[in-house]
Amino acid sequence: MRRIILCLFVLSAVSLIFASQIKAQQYITLGVPTSLKLIEGYEGHKAAQLAAEEINAKGGIKVGKDKFLIKIEALDIRDGEPGVPVQEALLGIEKLILDKKIYAAVVGNFRSEALLAAMDIYSKHKVINIGTIAMTPKFQEKVLSNPEKYKYSFRNCLDSKYLSGYIQNMMKFISKQFGYNKVYIVTQDVLWATATGSLMEKWFKENGWTVAGFDKYPVGATDFSAGLMKAKSAGVQVIMPIFDMPTSGILVKQWKGMKVPALMAGFISPLMGSKSWKTFGSDIDGLMNVVFEIGYFPIKAYPPTVKFSEAYLKRWKEDIQSGHGAAPGYDTVYVLASAIEKAGTLNPDKVVSAIEATDMQGVVGRIRFDKSHQLIFGDNPKTAAVGAVMQWQNGKMAVVWPESIASDKIVRPSWMK
Amino acid sequence: MFVYGLINSAVLALMAIGFNLTFGISGVANFAYGAIYVVSGFLTWSLINKLNMPYPVSAISTIIIIGILGALIYRFIIKRIRGLVISEVIATFGISIVILEFLRYVGFIGFKYSLPMFITGSVEIFDAYVDIQRLLIICFVILLIIALYIFTHHTKIGRAFRGIAQEEHTSLSLGINPDWIASLSMGLGSSLGAFAAIVILPLGTITVDGGYDVLINALSVCIVGGLGSTFGIIIASVIIGYAQTLTATYLAPHWTMIVSLLAILIILVFKPSGILGHQKELEERV
Repeated sequence: MRRIILCLFVLSAVSLIFASQIKAQQYITLGVPTSLKLIEGYEGHKAAQLAAEEINAKGGIKVGKDKFLIKIEALDIRDGEPGVPVQEALLGIEKLILDKKIYAAVVGNFRSEALLAAMDIYSKHKVINIGTIAMTPKFQEKVLSNPEKYKYSFRNCLDSKYLSGYIQNMMKFISKQFGYNKVYIVTQDVLWATATGSLMEKWFKENGWTVAGFDKYPVGATDFSAGLMKAKSAGVQVIMPIFDMPTSGILVKQWKGMKVPALMAGFISPLMGSKSWKTFGSDIDGLMNVVFEIGYFPIKAYPPTVKFSEAYLKRWKEDIQSGHGAAPGYDTVYVLASAIEKAGTLNPDKVVSAIEATDMQGVVGRIRFDKSHQLIFGDNPKTAAVGAVMQWQNGKMAVVWPESIASDKIVRPSWMK
Repeated sequence: MFVYGLINSAVLALMAIGFNLTFGISGVANFAYGAIYVVSGFLTWSLINKLNMPYPVSAISTIIIIGILGALIYRFIIKRIRGLVISEVIATFGISIVILEFLRYVGFIGFKYSLPMFITGSVEIFDAYVDIQRLLIICFVILLIIALYIFTHHTKIGRAFRGIAQEEHTSLSLGINPDWIASLSMGLGSSLGAFAAIVILPLGTITVDGGYDVLINALSVCIVGGLGSTFGIIIASVIIGYAQTLTATYLAPHWTMIVSLLAILIILVFKPSGILGHQKELEERV
């Protein structure tokens, strides 16, 4: 009996000695408060998770002498879904901050009003927020209105001003190549789309284009024949769509079915991903779409996009379908990890300073933030983050602009030639 | 414009026929109709893409499965509260939310869900190119109306349907079981919703939120045409369909969303029973 007690005592003592030498694994928790049932949020979450797993596989984030692994805590705050009040989304964010003790939030809000309100919560709790979905320019205005207070919020994706800039570049490119100058604008009847349409209408008129019409379709519209017939009879050369509703693919189907002799060039979210060819088939051949941020499909001219696309496919067994949010969500985790390591501390104020000084190559191009904490965009991934213009060409997503990464030239639909 | 107005009318009629049939026979306003329409689309898609079943087999299987589902919903939920109008509405709307949110929960999100066209390509009619699939919708509506007429006038069950619709208590005395017939009407109405989904959804994509739009469209056509009247909904579909097309062409497309609501408002002010509706017509006269 004595022997057994002695053995147990020795065993306990040895265990205690070892236990004191082995530190518990330390984690940095990143929150993903977003609309997880919408494609950008769903894929943004998976992309952030992928980045976290890659960093963890390399040993985690080094903070001084310690190593931290990244843990992702996602919460569906549903702010992108119709009818969900902003307050509900904010409660979700506070729940992540208070219950899950998140160090920072990535991916983030869909709706601009939710993002603007959430910035106060992040400031109150000194939680870093790097969003990759909501696109309002009011974000920058709010950061600049009180830089000290709102320094914890960054945006690592396109905003609506940059989007307009890319569409303008696309139109300049079309005009230069084909001499076109007559356009018909069709948008979804929601604020961001009509605002972009109005900005473009103004730009067209200032740049020698004729705007033959500007139609706004209600959410859920399934027949676009009226606008297409008006465009056809007006003899326009370009139709510029701005949509993110699921039924907007019908517009392109009808464009082809009605053989409207005009280029379809703008932004239709449901037709961005590889699966849209499977869904709609050759009906979408010839459509030109503005890519918000490169990286969601492989572009040979910029290898990080190939590496990311392949890694995502390997990890999640499916391609990325959204042209917005996923690649920046992946980059965001690396931006944070790099900033924490450079700061050498988890003190949010010091990490914020390190994020402000970020200068690294990401999947979306070179990542740098301006004074208003907005990611800087340009037309070459070596110098800035990059959006692009892709055209569906026989089932291939061909990059036609910018020249720095373009693989193909614009092809007009067969009935236009 | 004439062709697209007609197609729009046919789409509205097809969406509303199933809802109208269930209400006309059993008196149940099936607010789960939109959800049934959407689940039919996803079920067909899953049968084609996950089980690799041929399209026609998937479509027919879906119509049968959804019909059974509709009948079961009646047997196990609606039957207990039949006659309590508010309870019926709350129950069916609750079922609708459960179905739609369940679809969202299991991952039916994104833009990849679409059904194949029956026939691809387009033809030129009156200087306008039209998808053949859209023209098929008009044909299907005509065939469906003929089939429903034959069914309700020349088959035993069809006559029992009409009997229940006209006078339930008298039908009971003739040996017609109202619950059984109401259950069948719910099943048939659901099958018609599934049929509408299979014919209309190849034009676009299948989305969870689409269920609410379908319900609103079906409801507005039925209210304007007169709940329970098949010919009433045909007339209402033509009025609303052409009104929407004219609005989109001569006013602006974003005003089309208020056309059906305006039609409901006008009909409720001047003839609450609808254009050819018999429900409450006597009360209106009194």
